[in-house]
Amino acid sequence: MGALGKPIILMVAMYVFLKFVLPNIPGSAPLPSSLIVLYLLLTAAGIVIFQTLSGESKDAFWGPMQRFLTGENIGGMQAIRYGVFILFPLLVGWQTYGSTAASDVPPSESRTIHPAPPGEYTGLSNPVQKTPENIMQGKGFYAAFCSPCHGANFDGKGPAARGFNPPPANFADPTTIAMLQESYLFWRIKKGGVGLPIEGAPWKSAMPRWEAELPDEWIWKIILGEYDGAHQSPRTWE
Amino acid sequence: MKPANLVMQRVLRGGSAAIAAMIIGGASLSFAQESVAVRAAIVTGGLPVDDPNAASWSTAVPATFPMSPQVHWPNRIQEVTVQDVIVRAMHDGKQVVFLLEYRDPTQDPDDGAALEFMVGDKKAHFAHGQPMLQVEGGPVNIWFWKHKTDQAVDMTAKGFGTLKAQEHQDVKAKGTYANGTWKIVFTRNLSTDHPDEDVQITPGNFINVAFAVWDGRKDGAGELVEKGSQKAVSSWWYFRADAPPDYSGYMYAAIAVTLALGFQFVLIRKLKKGQ
Repeated sequence: MGALGKPIILMVAMYVFLKFVLPNIPGSAPLPSSLIVLYLLLTAAGIVIFQTLSGESKDAFWGPMQRFLTGENIGGMQAIRYGVFILFPLLVGWQTYGSTAASDVPPSESRTIHPAPPGEYTGLSNPVQKTPENIMQGKGFYAAFCSPCHGANFDGKGPAARGFNPPPANFADPTTIAMLQESYLFWRIKKGGVGLPIEGAPWKSAMPRWEAELPDEWIWKIILGEYDGAHQSPRTWE
Repeated sequence: MKPANLVMQRVLRGGSAAIAAMIIGGASLSFAQESVAVRAAIVTGGLPVDDPNAASWSTAVPATFPMSPQVHWPNRIQEVTVQDVIVRAMHDGKQVVFLLEYRDPTQDPDDGAALEFMVGDKKAHFAHGQPMLQVEGGPVNIWFWKHKTDQAVDMTAKGFGTLKAQEHQDVKAKGTYANGTWKIVFTRNLSTDHPDEDVQITPGNFINVAFAVWDGRKDGAGELVEKGSQKAVSSWWYFRADAPPDYSGYMYAAIAVTLALGFQFVLIRKLKKGQ
């Protein structure tokens, strides 16, 4: 394996890892292509530094590249060399055209799904006792006010949900209310979509501002009913 | 040929194939995007301003948006007739036309439909631009059509109870009903003299648009089922009037190709000279 072979294999392996392996690791997410390019550049820089530490390794690393580019004693590789000389400028041209052409894709919107609540809502505890009666009452309020969008099964698939973007939250999903404290739900139910900060894109949420229609006690009972119905527990700091 | 050279040859071949796959794979992935926008292509030779059935509409790309009952604020409604609207648009550099199409089993005098746009740079809540608690929002411009009059009303709102018809009426509309389907054409100039009230459409820019529909049927007691805030609504989506064709990208690409060729030439010359 030549001094040039290992770096190429390393770069390809790095790309395959970042693009196809990393997103499948639990808790991870697909990397944006700009980040993949950045990591590949860092890997390439590391390889160049490593390979040029000594004069010997430097020659072993650059030598084959120089021979390929100058075309000296490369025999059957000559055709590939000309191919690279044609392909490289075309790729540069294609990339330039792509970066100057007007995008057909609407502007991307980064929406924070669980933005920080205002200070007065952090750490509030539910003043309503978690009794079977209160839970049942909460489920009754939920059925009347929340289920049209959030669904009778607490899955965000109510009959009124289909047209809304973002879709109503699915409480059975462990990344929604199970990650949040009861005080957070109290804030979101009370103030609704319009109470979100700018990073929550408040102009898109159809969540009503329930403080205008429901007393606080009902909201706390709805929270009890939601957790029980979705088989989730609120997040605590203990 | 030496074995080492053979290995290098294979590695280089494999490497260039992998790089090519990376480039092609990356390029095709970046184009895969769900459609969330209405696009108005530029047309020459006249817009179908008052003809919802004009043949030219078949050239416009349809975009379908799901509708929900309006449950955001009272008076709510839990069930609505219209489940989707199909929207097409085109423009000629001066005027824009929208075609709204949806299934409605009955033709009623109180059937109605509306387009809503954000006005100016500030974001507006899709529910009539109602105030947001932590963000200063802007007004919305609503183009409202009703079957009874078969006319458009150009309206402004910034919050509930503030909806009013504008002094300057800039929008025209015409609807036709056939085979259980409404088709309504809305027409307006791309820009108007009232940027504080009217959406200004700049070709090439994406702007937000939302839709509302009222089925004007009556219940057993003779009351309208869908009226006022009791209607079918959509979320904000996007609209763009296409910009005139721009060929400058080809020029930049040609310059880049020339520079890359020059770079190759200089690099190889220097390498051959042993520099």
